[in-house]
Amino acid sequence: MITVRHVDKAFPARNGNAATLALHGVNLTIDTDEFVSVVGPSGCGKTTLLRMIAGLVLPDAGAIAIDGRPVTGPGPDRAVVFQQFSLLPWATVADNIAFGLELRGMPRDERLAIADDQIHAMGLRGFERHYPRQLSGGMQQRVGLARALAVNPAILLMDEPFASVDAQTRRTLQEDLRTLAERTRKTIVFVTHDIDEAVRLADRVVLLSPRPGQVVESLPVGLSRPRPEDLDQEPAAIQLKAYLWRQLRGMQQATSPKSRP
Amino acid sequence: MSRRPRFASLGRLLQDRRAGWLSLPAGIVAWEIAGRVSQFAFLPPFSAAVSAVWRMTWSGELPQSVAASLTALVVGYASAVCVGIPLGIVMGRYRRVDAFLDVYVTILIATPKLLFVPILFSLFGTSRLTQVIFIYLSAVVVITVNARSGVRGVDAASVEMARAFGATERQVLTRILLPGALPMIMAGVRMGMARAVRAMIMGDMLIALVGMGALLRKYGGRFDAASVFGLLLVIVGVALACTSTIRSVERRMTRWTEES
Repeated sequence: MITVRHVDKAFPARNGNAATLALHGVNLTIDTDEFVSVVGPSGCGKTTLLRMIAGLVLPDAGAIAIDGRPVTGPGPDRAVVFQQFSLLPWATVADNIAFGLELRGMPRDERLAIADDQIHAMGLRGFERHYPRQLSGGMQQRVGLARALAVNPAILLMDEPFASVDAQTRRTLQEDLRTLAERTRKTIVFVTHDIDEAVRLADRVVLLSPRPGQVVESLPVGLSRPRPEDLDQEPAAIQLKAYLWRQLRGMQQATSPKSRP
Repeated sequence: MSRRPRFASLGRLLQDRRAGWLSLPAGIVAWEIAGRVSQFAFLPPFSAAVSAVWRMTWSGELPQSVAASLTALVVGYASAVCVGIPLGIVMGRYRRVDAFLDVYVTILIATPKLLFVPILFSLFGTSRLTQVIFIYLSAVVVITVNARSGVRGVDAASVEMARAFGATERQVLTRILLPGALPMIMAGVRMGMARAVRAMIMGDMLIALVGMGALLRKYGGRFDAASVFGLLLVIVGVALACTSTIRSVERRMTRWTEES
């Protein structure tokens, strides 16, 4: 269980820009095995929230804990999937997937055996010895996901992971992730700006306000597991998406200077 | 009608990249002819230079001086690599170290290393050590600066990724920054070799009074043009061999950057 309590985070002033308060008084509880999407207008601090859960940055105030233990840095219970993949260009697909295990000092043959299982599961067979730049964006993110899963984390933190791949590939990756979530029962925190994606994947959608970000609403998706094939036919999903759209549009109009009379 | 194909084949001949293989032989032939035709005493033909090399090789003085020069080169250059790469990496990673050392690096970039020769003379005399330090100083700056900018050029996202997967600072240095900076580091190592070779020759002639540069000075003083040109051939050969060795090491270590 991930608990976020009264968390504030500001970014210091830099290059003449004033300090900005990114998150203010964030409260959020995510249950074990739960799949939560975090959505919000751009710049609302959703990625910052994810990075704090990952332990890459620490909150200025408040506390984040996992199963009651406060987060003081990255840990083996969590793995991150990045928007820009962040693969190592000098390492092959197999070595990239095994990277987290390499950092833990696992011998090469052992970690490559685990990487091999992930290569199989992710449909990367035949690309083991390729370098990242030889792969399409979708394939690269499969490597990114395989690298996260290889360390067998209890919590998977995903930062707009499918935002930089094309629409068709995105749909396939979403379906694969949904299957994976149902099969492995990991806790997944999924940051996205895509409402359709949030509803399609998650058990619950958390809506953040514009900066300084706060949790405005927490909305259960209310669909059965496994997910129905065609979400566009599900009244619950249609209504939730329409509602989230209205909320986000309202926030954007409230903050955009152009809309003021 | 019959001229067109000939014209086209001439065009193709001029486009051929293999012409590169002809350039050295053509230069040698031109040199040989110029040396034989001209009455200018200080331009011996190529063949005379080669036979001078032959003579100096068998007399033993050439192998001995090549060995002396190369020893100074290897010691000075190896120290430059061993200091320059870690120093550059640390300067690229830690702002405070960089802020502290940057002024010295800038000074060393801007000054001709020959300025240090009188100081080295006064400290170590005309010994091999003076020459080794001179070679070291000539090579270390470019290696350091390249390693530093290589580290700075590594994507910050890669460092963040490694930290997210639990990398220690030491692992960030060895698993992310070192391999990520390797293409730049190796380019610096290659440029450092060119500078070290130049410093080796200058050091031979000005400082140590041994090695190939000293031999060059000896025969130059006797106006023995054939031997001087022969030595130039050997020096060029040694320089090319050193830089191409480094280049092949570089290519092997940075294979991942090549186009697929």
